[in-house]
Amino acid sequence: MEIIQGILIIALAFWMVLDQQGFVITTWFPAIIGMIAGIIMGDVPTAMIIAGTFQLMALGVANIGGSSVPNYGLATLVGIYVAIRTTHDVSHAKAIALAVGVPVGMLGIQLDVLGKLLNSYVSHAAQKALNQGKFKKMERIFWLGPLIFGLTTALPTALCVLFGDKLVRLILDFVPKWFTDGLSIAGSMLPVVGIALLLQFMPVKKYLTMLLIGFVVSAYFKLPILGIAILGFAFAYYYFTQNIKKAPATAGATEAISEGDDFDE
Amino acid sequence: MSNEEKTNESVTKKDIRKAAIRYMFMACNTFNYENQQGPAVVYGLSKVLRKVYKKDEDYKASLNNHFNYFNTTTWMANLLLGASVAMEEKDGIKSKDAVQAFKTGMMGPLAGVGDTLVWVLYPTIMGSIAGYMGLQGNPTGAIIWLLLNVFFFFFRVKLFDIGHTSGLKLITALGDKLNVFTEAASIMGLTVIGALIPSVVKMTIPIEFKTGKVSLPIQTDILDKIMPALLPAILTFVVYKLIASKKFSVTQIIFMVIGLALVCSFFGILGV
Repeated sequence: MEIIQGILIIALAFWMVLDQQGFVITTWFPAIIGMIAGIIMGDVPTAMIIAGTFQLMALGVANIGGSSVPNYGLATLVGIYVAIRTTHDVSHAKAIALAVGVPVGMLGIQLDVLGKLLNSYVSHAAQKALNQGKFKKMERIFWLGPLIFGLTTALPTALCVLFGDKLVRLILDFVPKWFTDGLSIAGSMLPVVGIALLLQFMPVKKYLTMLLIGFVVSAYFKLPILGIAILGFAFAYYYFTQNIKKAPATAGATEAISEGDDFDE
Repeated sequence: MSNEEKTNESVTKKDIRKAAIRYMFMACNTFNYENQQGPAVVYGLSKVLRKVYKKDEDYKASLNNHFNYFNTTTWMANLLLGASVAMEEKDGIKSKDAVQAFKTGMMGPLAGVGDTLVWVLYPTIMGSIAGYMGLQGNPTGAIIWLLLNVFFFFFRVKLFDIGHTSGLKLITALGDKLNVFTEAASIMGLTVIGALIPSVVKMTIPIEFKTGKVSLPIQTDILDKIMPALLPAILTFVVYKLIASKKFSVTQIIFMVIGLALVCSFFGILGV
């Protein structure tokens, strides 16, 4: 059973990067990866708590335009595997997952860069095959790309599956309580990095109002996040319907005028 | 799979769907720093273009053209590539330069809109809902997210088809409307982000002031009275400024936060 779980976790590591960069169905976002890993490990609630922690840390960390970012999906996967293998105590599991996952996720940046460098050769080889008229060979060469990227996540996962839990169990015997507590505290503070990063991409100065409304409704009124998302959608919908008329669209012009009368009723 | 390559038939719906799925699979999986998504475009279109170009020389010329630098949000690329195939079907290899100009001209604007929607707003809203539910051990949010992804998968296959049938005009017209859409989505995104600060960033000071018999817990009696989630708000502001200053990489900042948490834990300034 343990061997099958290990193999499935490694296979998931291989697949998740291909899916994130391609189909975008299971993605490498911690929440979804964590759920699948939880099913594999037979402990969805613990896996979801770890995945939720990493998911919030990963908010706003977007791999836009081919940039390399910490691989929080990889962090989630190895974190969940090692944590569930080592302990059954949930808060303990969270600290272990962070201690194992964060460094591995950071290593993911370097491996991603390496994968992108290697793929230059894949591209060259494929183009060469094309110009020699070997079309079938070109098709086959392309498959090296996904193979390389799959290995960038599958290899570190395999190492963690093979040695991770033993190593962590060994270390945990020596680690003082303030240290594991500190990691849990770091886990609750780290979402701030993703949020701050996200704010860099967004028009914060222009829509500071919305940021403040969201803060107040959550901090003072304790509205759940889904409710706030609906509230946000309400503002967005209002903005959209008001401004889409002004957008240069030939078809919508007459429609907008007749719609204007309806508001008086 | 490919014995029928050389026969004289036109491009069918099925070919288009196949090209869409081939490109969507490869998208960034041959990503490199030279021509980025170029090889994935070649892989995606290689089958359908073989039907368009019967002569090997034309086929090679066309694919060499697609090997050129290409990079945009992969979801949006489906529209562009669908339209490219339509152009090549209509004018053959003569359309080579027009296809290249169209692709490079549109990939920038589409990436601007697409990256905001697909890689910033969508994962932020779904991620915060799924992540927040996850903290309580609940996978519902993650399941909804997964189902939405499946829906978008079919939607993207459809986008390739839309690009193929309606072509250039639609894509340029869509650009203006998408801008309004992105702004609206930013409004929703920022409302959610504002709510995330107090709900997911957690800091508690367990220290109490003691004067004689009266004890004064700092967290509940002082900080929370000033403003709930005061410390997370301050931390967000500080980290925001740190990132904006560009003096530190994100990785360095992550390790700074971990270091701060460890030090505060050691001195008992912050509690779990």
